[in-house]
Amino acid sequence: MLSLLLWLAGLLFELLLLVRAVRTKTLTRYFYFYAYIFCIFAVSAGLYIGRSLSPSFYDAWYWPTQFATLAMGCAVVLEIVRQALAAYPGAERLARLASCAVFAVTFCYLEWHVARRMDWSTTNATVELERDLRVIQALVLATVLAIVFYYRIELGKNVKGMIVGFGAYVGVSLTTLELRSFLGPRFNAGWGDLQTLSYFFALIVWTAALWSYSPNPKPPTTGRNGTGYDALVHGTRAQLESVRSSLRGVARS
Amino acid sequence: MIGLLLYLLVGIGLLVILWVLARREGAPVEGCGRQFVEARQALRTLQLGLLPENLIERIFDREDFRYVMAASPGEIGELFLQERKRISLMWVRRVRCEIRNLMQFHLGYSRLHVKLSLPTEIRLALDFTLLLLACRALRILLNARGPYGAGAVVRILTSAAGRVCAASEKSLAFLNPPALESFRHNSAGDGAAI
Repeated sequence: MLSLLLWLAGLLFELLLLVRAVRTKTLTRYFYFYAYIFCIFAVSAGLYIGRSLSPSFYDAWYWPTQFATLAMGCAVVLEIVRQALAAYPGAERLARLASCAVFAVTFCYLEWHVARRMDWSTTNATVELERDLRVIQALVLATVLAIVFYYRIELGKNVKGMIVGFGAYVGVSLTTLELRSFLGPRFNAGWGDLQTLSYFFALIVWTAALWSYSPNPKPPTTGRNGTGYDALVHGTRAQLESVRSSLRGVARS
Repeated sequence: MIGLLLYLLVGIGLLVILWVLARREGAPVEGCGRQFVEARQALRTLQLGLLPENLIERIFDREDFRYVMAASPGEIGELFLQERKRISLMWVRRVRCEIRNLMQFHLGYSRLHVKLSLPTEIRLALDFTLLLLACRALRILLNARGPYGAGAVVRILTSAAGRVCAASEKSLAFLNPPALESFRHNSAGDGAAI
């Protein structure tokens, strides 16, 4: 009963988000994010209607539609990278490189892990594919956030909300999926409830954060043409070397 | 089991990072502008406040200690030594603080550069970390050996100060708006302040 209520409430929140996006004219600004919300809304509404018509409909369509929303989840990660670091070309370049590296390393590790497994089955594979995609999303998000912290980048309310909501959902999904794989069917009920609750939490965060348009604070434009980076690095290195040699002298004396 | 731990670590780690993000206080909106000013201040503090020859001589020269020991009882000498140790530790702490300011300055500007290089940034991050660790190690050394285990500091630091200032001036000067520089050059010869 509770999950049904959350399902319906989730549909309402998704609809509300889309309506607010049109009213605040942010639909095109955060296009991939709202495409994800629209996709989830269409899938949830379709599953709800299908389930009321035929009980087997939900079981037959749950995993295929889940993959569609999973793929759209990757678009949300891209949207976050694009929006959070748009004003910082250097940090964005770093995030792109680091994200590609994280993706490649994680993908290779997961492939290797799957190849080593003897007890391969379709049911396990579908759950594991979702979990593995969540791992990649989680690691890319963590990398982007590490760059945001390292370069002290200030985020606006909209982007911060997008990250917190989506990240919480990904983090809880990943943890519960792994626990489900480890504990087996006895964790199914807990897994379903936790996933629904985390998604509901994400919807509340998104609705609150994206209620009105709140862009990221803009940094000053000085030095953005990229011509001074070498000089900056050279200057910083020279300073470091001088201070280091001084401290070395102090330590030796 | 290792797989389970790894996945749980990633999932819970992400939630912790999100918690930090949600609780993070807003960084200053002016960002680079403020860091630019702080970098200049850090440079001036290093140049005029922390690394001048006479200051370091005052802190680390044994002559004062010898004089105090010769002219007053042993307890006064002990007290003097404690005070000098406190001052030398304070000096290291300030140097560390200014290095951190220079680091913030570098991060503030490099994030805006399209040509930013990943290996260079990693190397610099390691360099800054090692330097900050070196300051920490120096504090331990001064705590253990006292302020007068550093006789050669004066010469090395004085010469290093010149290099630091020259390099920093160069690094900071290129960030000055060109228009302002040309205005400065074209200003009246009577030294009108800009």
